[in-house]
Amino acid sequence: MADSNAPKPSSSVKLVLLGEAAVGKSSLVLRFVNNDFQENKEPTIGAAFLTQKCNLPSRTIKFEIWDTAGQERFASLAPMYYRNAQAALVVYDLTKPTSLVKARHWVAELQRQASPGIVIALVGNKLDLTNDGEPGRGDGDGEGVEGEDSGDARKVSTEEAKSYAEEESLLFFETSAKTGYNVADVFTAIANAIPETSLKSTRGPGASNAVSRGGEEQRVNLNGPRETAKEGCAC
Amino acid sequence: MFNISSFVQKAQSAAQQLIDPMQGLNLTNSDRNPSKASLFQSQFRLPSSQTPLFEIPAELTIPPLNVTHGGKDHDRGWHYAGRLHLSESYLCFSTTPSSFAHTASTSTSSTFAGQTHGAGPSGNGFTFPLCAIRRVERLNSQNFQFSLAITTWNGIAQEQAKDKAALKDRKDFREQRITIQLAGNRQVCERFCDGLKKGLRGAVGNVGRLKKVIAECYSEYLLRPEEKKNAASPDAGLGVIFKYPGDPKKLRDRAKMRLWAEYLRDNGRNATLIRQPTFHKLIRVGLPNRLRGEMWELTSGSFYLRLETPTLYIDTLDKFLGQESLAIDEIEKDLNRSLPEYPGFQSEDGINRLRRVLTAYSWINPDVGYCQAMNIVVAALLIYMSEAQAFFLLSTLCDRLVPGYYSSTMYGTLLDQKVFESLVEKTMPILWEHLVKSDVQLSVVSLPWFLSLYINSMPLVFAFRVLDVFFVEGPKVLFQVGLAILRINGEELLDAADDGAFISVLKSYFSRLDESAHPKSENPKLRAINRFQELMVVAFKEFSAITHSTIQDLRLKNKDAVLNNIENFAKRTAIRNLGPDSKVLSPEELGALYDRFYGVLYERQQRDLIIQEEQRRRAKASKSRANETVPEHHDHGVEKGRVGLGPSTSLMDYDAFREFLASVSKWAISDAPPPTPRRDPSDRNSYFGSFRRSDINLLSPWGSGPEPADHEFMQRLFRKWDVTNSSSLTLQNVVTGLAQIKGGRDIMGTITYFFELYDDDGDGKVDREGILRVSEALLFLSRRGLEGSLSHSNSTTMLNGIAETDSASLSPPIGGTINERFLGSVSAFIRRCFEYADPDNLGNQEEASQTINPNTPVISKEDPSIDSGAFAIGDDEDEEDMLAFDSPSSQPNTEAKRPDLEPIPPAIGKPAENASRRTVSKAQSEKANVALDPSNPLHITLPTFRMVVLADELLEQFFESSFPTSLHITDGLPNTTSQSSSLTTFSNLNFSRPATLSSSAAQPGLAGAGRGLRGVLDNIVTDASRVAAEVRRRMEEAQRELEKNALPGQRDEDEEDEEELPGPIKSTNAYGGDAERRSVRSSDRDLLDGADAGAGATKEADGSSQSLLDTNIEQEGRVNKVSNTTERIVEFES
Repeated sequence: MADSNAPKPSSSVKLVLLGEAAVGKSSLVLRFVNNDFQENKEPTIGAAFLTQKCNLPSRTIKFEIWDTAGQERFASLAPMYYRNAQAALVVYDLTKPTSLVKARHWVAELQRQASPGIVIALVGNKLDLTNDGEPGRGDGDGEGVEGEDSGDARKVSTEEAKSYAEEESLLFFETSAKTGYNVADVFTAIANAIPETSLKSTRGPGASNAVSRGGEEQRVNLNGPRETAKEGCAC
Repeated sequence: MFNISSFVQKAQSAAQQLIDPMQGLNLTNSDRNPSKASLFQSQFRLPSSQTPLFEIPAELTIPPLNVTHGGKDHDRGWHYAGRLHLSESYLCFSTTPSSFAHTASTSTSSTFAGQTHGAGPSGNGFTFPLCAIRRVERLNSQNFQFSLAITTWNGIAQEQAKDKAALKDRKDFREQRITIQLAGNRQVCERFCDGLKKGLRGAVGNVGRLKKVIAECYSEYLLRPEEKKNAASPDAGLGVIFKYPGDPKKLRDRAKMRLWAEYLRDNGRNATLIRQPTFHKLIRVGLPNRLRGEMWELTSGSFYLRLETPTLYIDTLDKFLGQESLAIDEIEKDLNRSLPEYPGFQSEDGINRLRRVLTAYSWINPDVGYCQAMNIVVAALLIYMSEAQAFFLLSTLCDRLVPGYYSSTMYGTLLDQKVFESLVEKTMPILWEHLVKSDVQLSVVSLPWFLSLYINSMPLVFAFRVLDVFFVEGPKVLFQVGLAILRINGEELLDAADDGAFISVLKSYFSRLDESAHPKSENPKLRAINRFQELMVVAFKEFSAITHSTIQDLRLKNKDAVLNNIENFAKRTAIRNLGPDSKVLSPEELGALYDRFYGVLYERQQRDLIIQEEQRRRAKASKSRANETVPEHHDHGVEKGRVGLGPSTSLMDYDAFREFLASVSKWAISDAPPPTPRRDPSDRNSYFGSFRRSDINLLSPWGSGPEPADHEFMQRLFRKWDVTNSSSLTLQNVVTGLAQIKGGRDIMGTITYFFELYDDDGDGKVDREGILRVSEALLFLSRRGLEGSLSHSNSTTMLNGIAETDSASLSPPIGGTINERFLGSVSAFIRRCFEYADPDNLGNQEEASQTINPNTPVISKEDPSIDSGAFAIGDDEDEEDMLAFDSPSSQPNTEAKRPDLEPIPPAIGKPAENASRRTVSKAQSEKANVALDPSNPLHITLPTFRMVVLADELLEQFFESSFPTSLHITDGLPNTTSQSSSLTTFSNLNFSRPATLSSSAAQPGLAGAGRGLRGVLDNIVTDASRVAAEVRRRMEEAQRELEKNALPGQRDEDEEDEEELPGPIKSTNAYGGDAERRSVRSSDRDLLDGADAGAGATKEADGSSQSLLDTNIEQEGRVNKVSNTTERIVEFES
């Protein structure tokens, strides 16, 4: 508990990435975690787990990131990963309208099935392929890029996505994992949006969730003795 | 009823016996009592074409020459007691006690086989393809012994190029010859030998194929004499080119290779390999690189698949060359990310191999297609084996070793996670408790282990060692290793308190598998043991109690919950993903709709399976009578259709659509009594016989549900909903379709909808045929009564008072009254349509309307009386039906029996036949209705249609509420007897007719059925008044009867009374009605003749009241069945 009183308290936040295959989920994470862009990454089997700290003026947030597989059939595994998540990145591909449809599905799923109060950010990735982004070759870890060199490959307008995000009270960003544009901002915004109350427990990894599986009141109570010891163990 | 259900049960159990338990994962009986055939196939890893034919206890003797490490057992070689099994093309011996004989009772077999449960070839013995057997000799003719000497084609490939004499001298080659002593009485032995002889004879032709197949085996190359090795070696995987993972020295690859070479020399190679204890030991220490692929192939049984269809891989690639698919797109994305650290997969060669194997598999198993993780597994396989070998091994994996892992719902993966969790809970309660307490979900960690068979989790060299054992011993190995990992890391894991910590503990463990397990030990031997070896020891020693049956049992236990989870998720997703149309339906409706949609598909598929199996069984039975052994083809016994299991069906064809409609609306239920298996086809009403579909005596093609009707309206609805013209509906189509009908509850919308349904060319006009069809549809939809909020006031009629009293006296009949009144509305509808129709060529309109007008007002007035009258005798309508069908026979007694009350309804319902009963001849009616004259084409437009509908209160109500509400999505159909008994009027409609009708409609002039319909409609228009008058009279009669009798709901008890009912009615009947009929009959005899009604008519007429009884029984049964269906749907939902 000493930590939470310290000038810069640190807390863990479980974040899950969802979205259609090949929208660049893994690339976003990789950019955020390693500031890197990688060509041939092994596909995500089930989900990949990564951590990254995010420094806010008032506190440090340690993101425990679950990067889920995008292939449709893995969707039924998703509940396993978004369970107890405090934040979610729902990613779509700016150049692929169907991916926004899928993103909407995920948002709906999360709103109905995930922890109440989950912070959801809608992220349109591959901005580099549009005229708004920096001219780029192509985003994506080998996952289909349909960039037309002729210029703007954007198929989803900012307005459309934004108004949807506002409707559903989602954070909204357009990013490029390739160039790194806006990537860190997404995570910072999420970190800021996580309500203080759900951080109190520092999610001493899992301590807050220890009581009941899938319940929601869990987040508030039970600052188990374990939490301080657990700092930073999972990196 | 009894009979039906018992038949169904029989057929089901027959079907289930053919389902493979390993693939099964079904919650059917087959799980608990897997068939012997499937256990047998699993036990020896044989293709699903193989069934156990004979088995006999036997002793296998391997002569000393073949003994690897001799000396143990005297000088007489090795002896193994076990069982010899013979299938269509395999001879198998195993020391593992298991019996698959036909004669063994199920219980015996399951206790016996329970020990192995089809665990795989763990015992000592062999699995010889019969084509690998060169010679079988009877040894010594001692009476008390029955011994066979078996010589195999071992080394056939190298024998080929030889000069025989030279070979004989060679020491390193000798014929493989084993002896088997059969135990059992002479007769049994003889029988076994006869079977063997037959099998061998059949297999002779396959020797060439065997040669080709084994040519791809590295062992052939390995055992080839040195000087002949300059020939290219078989493809032993990418490793040959890019090196195998790991340091061969460290792996002691050469030593292993020598040991294997020796073992194979002594015990036979590939197809002729004999498993002795050394074999299993050699596998446990890790296979040598170049033999690994072949051994995987042999132990997993994929070798036998390859032997069965050696060219399937190449053929598949050829066949689908250049074709695109979703799976291929998905594969493409992952090609560069499959074991990218292995040099072979940084090369085009490797990538291309991977692409080809994954693609070929996605074609032969489109249900699975491609699942991420398959790329990793196949990539791993390709390091050690050729493409074709990897292809068949992938197939074996998906079908048998890890069933459902890669399916589109990945239910196998999820199921095995549940199994793993319960094993952890059982074997490591403290750790489990800790996991629960710290809310760590184990499967988050362990799922990738299973899904990628540890290939992605451990360093490759170690993962391959796990695979070595896995292919011999089956899926339990995955669990044993998983448990051992947790056990070894138990203490650290107890300190980890969240997913992240948990993962990192294990990650670091996997990265140090090559380190010494006991680095600080004094004992250098102990120090030399690395962590992986420790892992294997813990896995196979400490968790040796985890057997194949443990896993099977746990799978069984958890399967339902897992599938339900998946299905709930799928349902949630599917419903959410439905387009905006779905918004007009409530979530409950959508949920129910989803369940019904998939419920119907599922049931149909199950039924198909059962029927297929039954047919197959019969075919087999007849063939075996002909003394042939025909390889049986069952598809992989995977239960299909259930949403949780995969995507196999999400499309609804027309028949399924009918069934679906029949489950939500009573008008979609056929009027035919359900099939009566007891009845011989010959004594069945010939009329039914003709239109009842291919009648598989055993099973109704409609299963336990009511048989759906088949009406042109339903066809139109189907076509309308089928927006993509694919002759099938998706859930989305159905939702959209229903949303349009039920959605707004907007009468204008419904009217427009109906109109468009009949506006074939979309030109905003419905022609004469269309109008007739619309009215036919209205009658069809209303023939079981109308639902929804219909006004009970009889404002349109003069007979208000009478109608009201009727209603008062018959409580449910209120509806009936309205329903019958609806008939009048429909006839008025037709009349008005024609009246207000726009002529295609102007001129006749005036005449037409003039002629019709005078008659019509009467109809609507009289209608209520018709209605109540008809309803009053509603209960014996069923009998009427029977009679009506028989009516073609011009038997006076049939006529006499017929109460005259219902002439209109049946006439409409069965236009072709019943038109003939009208009083007025065709000519007359045509005169009366110029509008019906085809030489004056006309049409109505939507506004006209709307006007006509709105002009009639009942029709208006029909479109406003009763049609939309007639589709009971959420609540389903009320399971009451009224469902069948309320069929008051049109019970003998033959709605399978419209096909004829539409085809004849295309012809010019009055022809065929079209004429009949028109005649009927004429009569409605022109004769209604007279009929109504009669009906009124009759109504009073019937009223009395009804008051005497009970309400329709009580019909069961009333059946006997009902039988007598026709009596009094008949007498009232005798006059006008009879006359009508006579005239009709004479004018339309040709029609009747056409109706295939000639023979046996008298008989049928006599038997008709009897068959009414049957029918009623059936109907009760049907109701039972209906409730069954609902129950099942409920289960499905839960």
